[in-house]
Amino acid sequence: MPTDQGQHPLSVDETSRPRTVRTAEQQGRRLGRLMVLPLIVILGAIFLYPVLFTARISLQDYRLNALGDVRFIGLDHYVSLLSNNTFITAMRNTAVFVVVAVGLELVIGLTLALLVHRQIRLRNLTRSILLAPMFVTPIAVGLMFRFLLNQQLGLVPPLLQAVGIEIDFFGPRLALLSLAFIDVWQWTPLIFLMMLAGLESLPKQPFEAAKVDGASAWFTFRRVTLPMLRPAIVVAVIIRTLDALRVFEYVFAITRGGPGEATETIQFLIYRVGFQFFRLGEAAAMAYVLVAVVLVLVAVLVRLSRRPDAT
Amino acid sequence: MSALATNVKRRVLTGVRVSIVAAMVVIVVVPFAWVVAASLKPQEALSRGPFEPFTPQFETWGEVLRSGVTASFTRSVIVGLATVSIAVVVGSLGAYAISRFRTGGGTMRFGVLAGQMIPPAVLVIPLFLIAFQFGLNDSLPAVVASHLTFVLPLVTWFLIGFFDEVPHEYEEQAMVDGYTRWRAFYKVVLPQVRPGIGAAAIFGFILSWNDMFYALILGGGQARTLPVAIAGFNTFRGVELGRMSVAILMSVIPVLIASFFVQRRLIQGLGSGGLKG
Repeated sequence: MPTDQGQHPLSVDETSRPRTVRTAEQQGRRLGRLMVLPLIVILGAIFLYPVLFTARISLQDYRLNALGDVRFIGLDHYVSLLSNNTFITAMRNTAVFVVVAVGLELVIGLTLALLVHRQIRLRNLTRSILLAPMFVTPIAVGLMFRFLLNQQLGLVPPLLQAVGIEIDFFGPRLALLSLAFIDVWQWTPLIFLMMLAGLESLPKQPFEAAKVDGASAWFTFRRVTLPMLRPAIVVAVIIRTLDALRVFEYVFAITRGGPGEATETIQFLIYRVGFQFFRLGEAAAMAYVLVAVVLVLVAVLVRLSRRPDAT
Repeated sequence: MSALATNVKRRVLTGVRVSIVAAMVVIVVVPFAWVVAASLKPQEALSRGPFEPFTPQFETWGEVLRSGVTASFTRSVIVGLATVSIAVVVGSLGAYAISRFRTGGGTMRFGVLAGQMIPPAVLVIPLFLIAFQFGLNDSLPAVVASHLTFVLPLVTWFLIGFFDEVPHEYEEQAMVDGYTRWRAFYKVVLPQVRPGIGAAAIFGFILSWNDMFYALILGGGQARTLPVAIAGFNTFRGVELGRMSVAILMSVIPVLIASFFVQRRLIQGLGSGGLKG
């Protein structure tokens, strides 16, 4: 509905209308290409070029402090990664981190969404508070928890000591898990949000039918809610997994990879090798191994979402 | 008798439910409250135990507001606004074409998001080297370019969903009335999705505001954004803790306020356009 009065040329000739419509369609297609052009140019510049560039230097002895002496070395970087213990540890740590964090986030987020879904009193306030952590910059969250869990200055250790528990959150044994728990604090809200959105878009009839049939709450959850939520769950898990693989800020803020290599994660290692040790070629090869892992993971998760239900 | 039993059972269940949700709320709120308290504690109270009483003071706030952190705050605002402006203009043009004219087909529609699978580590190396070649290393334009890698696809994706929901009759009617395609888009469709654009813009701003990885590598010195400045507080001495808490709150408070405006939209966007695609 044009609101712009007095601008409508009312003289649309009845006989020429089909032609007008056709040219409008062609006009639309041309306009469409024109409108999408800036998007493609920018995406090409910030994705396509970097992706190809990184692929190329992963085959070169590319060091920031020896740019005059860049040699093609084929797959040497990739081959040496196979026996690079720090790299293997970083991959393993990242895998543990992702599985623990995303697993807990899914369980807690889904439970919480089910609990809050039909809440009436204080509905918006509860939701706003529960969603808050995901909007905070991860580096701030990292430092907040480093402070909160600090043995001398923190809040949590004295409370635990009062009941006789002594935990060194960032010691060699627990550091990685502590980081995963911080991730759970920050990102469970995202899964919670996506599950809420999923629950609210579900049709009502299956639930009414289950109620009429006298199905128990657990049965309804297992056989009605869960199967219908599956696409939303898969999307949420993909998004969170891709993001958790990039864990960087908590490591940077709290442990810097230590103690020892206990919290060395892949993104942090790439940062160190590439931008602190200037070995960009090697860092690029690590990044590409990560790409391969990501592609396999996404393919598996997408397959999982398409698997027909057993029931 | 059994009616009474179910009644009791229901009450117990409600009690359990309310206490779980309440516990979660406490777990979310306590860390924030703790940092607020730390930002108000006098220096000597910070090194005492956490439960000692203290008289609130605002000296630490004053100190930080007069320091370089304010400049970082401004830089974060500039980067966020620049990123979002580019993303909204380029994204809404592209999203409209993808939604209406099926430009590029399904490949384009989903290809927009495909880039999100690429780890930032792959993108940051060339972006750093390009910036270096143009003499733009440690500068805000380099940071903006890197933030577009995650803000632009997301904004575009959200907008495709919003444009999909505007009935085609709107433009058809406008064109019958003599509007060109472009004017129909600009004058008729765009106002319809303005709330969606607003929410996507705020969300994009928050993402840019929160990034540290790219900002650290592409602008870690003179062009420090707020998260990079916050990362600088990594020595845990009494004085630093108070200042760090203030810096954290400077980053957190604006975002929490902004998030209230987008939450409901986010739930809608994810429920309709976002998930079904």
